[in-house]
Amino acid sequence: MYFEAELKDKKFKVDVAETKSAWKVSLQEEGKEWVHYDISKRDFKQAEQYISFLFSGKSYLIDVIGQDTEYTVFTRNSFRTIKVFNDEMLLHESLKKGGGFGGDQELKSGMPGKIIEIFVKEGDVVKANKPLLIMEAMKMENEMRASRDVKIKEIRVKQGDSIESGAVLIKFEEPS
Amino acid sequence: MALFKKILIANRGEIAIRITRACRELGIGSVAVFSDADRDSLHVFLADEAYHIGPSPSKESYLNFRKIIEVAKQSGADAVHPGYGFLSENTVFAKALEEAGITFIGPTVSNIESMGDKLSAKALMKKAGVPTVPGSDGGVESVEEARAIVERIGFPVIIKATAGGGGKGMRVVRQMDELESAFRACRSEGQNYFANPTVYIEKFINDPKHIEIQVFGDKHGNHVHLFERECSVQRRHQKIIEECPSPSVPQEVRLRMGEAAVRAAKQINYVGAGTIEFIFDNSTKEFYFMEMNTRLQVEHPITEIVTGYDLVKEQIYVAANKPLSFKQEDIKQKGHAIEARICAEDPITYKPHPGVIRACRHPQGPFMRVDSYAYPGYEVPIFYDPMIAKVITWGDSREEAIDRMQRALSEFVLTGIKTNIVLHKTILDHAKFRDGSYTTQFIEKNFEVIEPQLFKEVEDPVFLIAAAITAYNDRKSKDVRQLNLSSSWKRVSRKLQLRM
Repeated sequence: MYFEAELKDKKFKVDVAETKSAWKVSLQEEGKEWVHYDISKRDFKQAEQYISFLFSGKSYLIDVIGQDTEYTVFTRNSFRTIKVFNDEMLLHESLKKGGGFGGDQELKSGMPGKIIEIFVKEGDVVKANKPLLIMEAMKMENEMRASRDVKIKEIRVKQGDSIESGAVLIKFEEPS
Repeated sequence: MALFKKILIANRGEIAIRITRACRELGIGSVAVFSDADRDSLHVFLADEAYHIGPSPSKESYLNFRKIIEVAKQSGADAVHPGYGFLSENTVFAKALEEAGITFIGPTVSNIESMGDKLSAKALMKKAGVPTVPGSDGGVESVEEARAIVERIGFPVIIKATAGGGGKGMRVVRQMDELESAFRACRSEGQNYFANPTVYIEKFINDPKHIEIQVFGDKHGNHVHLFERECSVQRRHQKIIEECPSPSVPQEVRLRMGEAAVRAAKQINYVGAGTIEFIFDNSTKEFYFMEMNTRLQVEHPITEIVTGYDLVKEQIYVAANKPLSFKQEDIKQKGHAIEARICAEDPITYKPHPGVIRACRHPQGPFMRVDSYAYPGYEVPIFYDPMIAKVITWGDSREEAIDRMQRALSEFVLTGIKTNIVLHKTILDHAKFRDGSYTTQFIEKNFEVIEPQLFKEVEDPVFLIAAAITAYNDRKSKDVRQLNLSSSWKRVSRKLQLRM
């Protein structure tokens, strides 16, 4: 199965194949050579609540959370979010890019929290870096700002709302 | 004299559990309270009794002292322990308890009041002969006045706008020819940003460390100190690592600090557990009173480990009118203890990261203690402090305590939420932490772009391979389901065709 993956700013091509006793994973970081890993299923197995992964002589306890295109991998108290696309998704992505939009079309919450104040209304044209709203999570107020010049298409939350992680708060369109 | 029958714990999370443990060891009943968000908090499971007190926001639950007193009465609790934060330094609460005939396990109302206001606290400390930061003790009107003060206290000094904040209206001055322009600049910044030109002058501390002394008093006029804790490792002005003893305080200074802290406690006839915070100049080894915390501290375990006394039980004894169970000459520091505060937060941005804990396994093994309320499947709520656990290790030497902490943190498995464990591990390895020279600016100055350092233990392929195999399995199981679905459709239609 072929994937493309993004880890931080690095892009990788990934190929995964499975035999009865092993995983064959190949990785190619952009601009570099393919590297092939032959991993015995005995070295990558579910144990307790985690995956025990024995990799080049090291023992990792791993937990992977996520689905579809985004996975977060936890191990040794480090964590990485990895975007994983297969062919069909790559097509969707390229279609989106072809649409000519230069940035995110929506503002999402990075963590669960509560909306304290909203500074914009639907139809407003907002300059880059202007505050959109304030969200509170764990005794801290976080001001969320526009990453570029946008027009506010839709506001999906109101003051006082409690929101989940990843919820869409505001939808944008291009300022005319 | 009997202790209490039942103690209501007006707090949540790890400190509520800590107090429940003391109650259980003393044969006292424990009553937990919880908000909507905390039904599944471990402190509810571990107490003898538990009562709902209101909605999730603290204001409507853990700060709703009327409701808490009502629950105390209903449950038959004869004392309330407030823990730290929330109502622990609230005099209205303490008074209301007194009127209800319930004992507040903490200092007296006048103790809290006299230390609550920073200016009056400083004046009281001066009276008790406790060193305070030398300075103008009020507004400075003219350059001439400023010059006179600086001649008295010596360079370096810091000029601050009374109304200032956020780094504005503040100047460090190291020589006389800089004084006049800095003085004028601060006054005009104060005027422009805060509409108040008043400035004051204080001695500037070159290498500031946060050193605090644990004190204890009883209702019979006895006061002791239990030595210091160093809490200079801070992010967002909040402590994250504490150690005891401090590697920077010479023995002779340690004793003087302890004596000063006891004088401070005696000055206000302090009752119960308290902490005198000092700002400590690591270049001159001088120390100055900052403030007094009239409650139990988060970092109290390191003092317990090094001195061997249970501070929470002692609070309960004192509240029950018993004399202190230790004398100054009995109290010794043995070995070294370190505490790391584990928080549900991004280790790079320090932003809180609440969410559901997936896997959780606490460190175990020799010479350590874990005060935690984390468990697998628990959702860390968004409403409260992000600290979820404290790991405390002891060593015969400081090096051993640090190495043991590194070992303990390597064992700590906590997934599903981001935590600052990797930040702790990086700090413990840092040369400035290892040699003890770190100051309160340690994290600000040394940890700006440290992400690669933080994640250095794990190579990229480990993350990628794990994600790739999981993604492969997800897609494969989806395909199988679709396959089964289509074949069962075919089976059904084939059957239908056969019937016809």
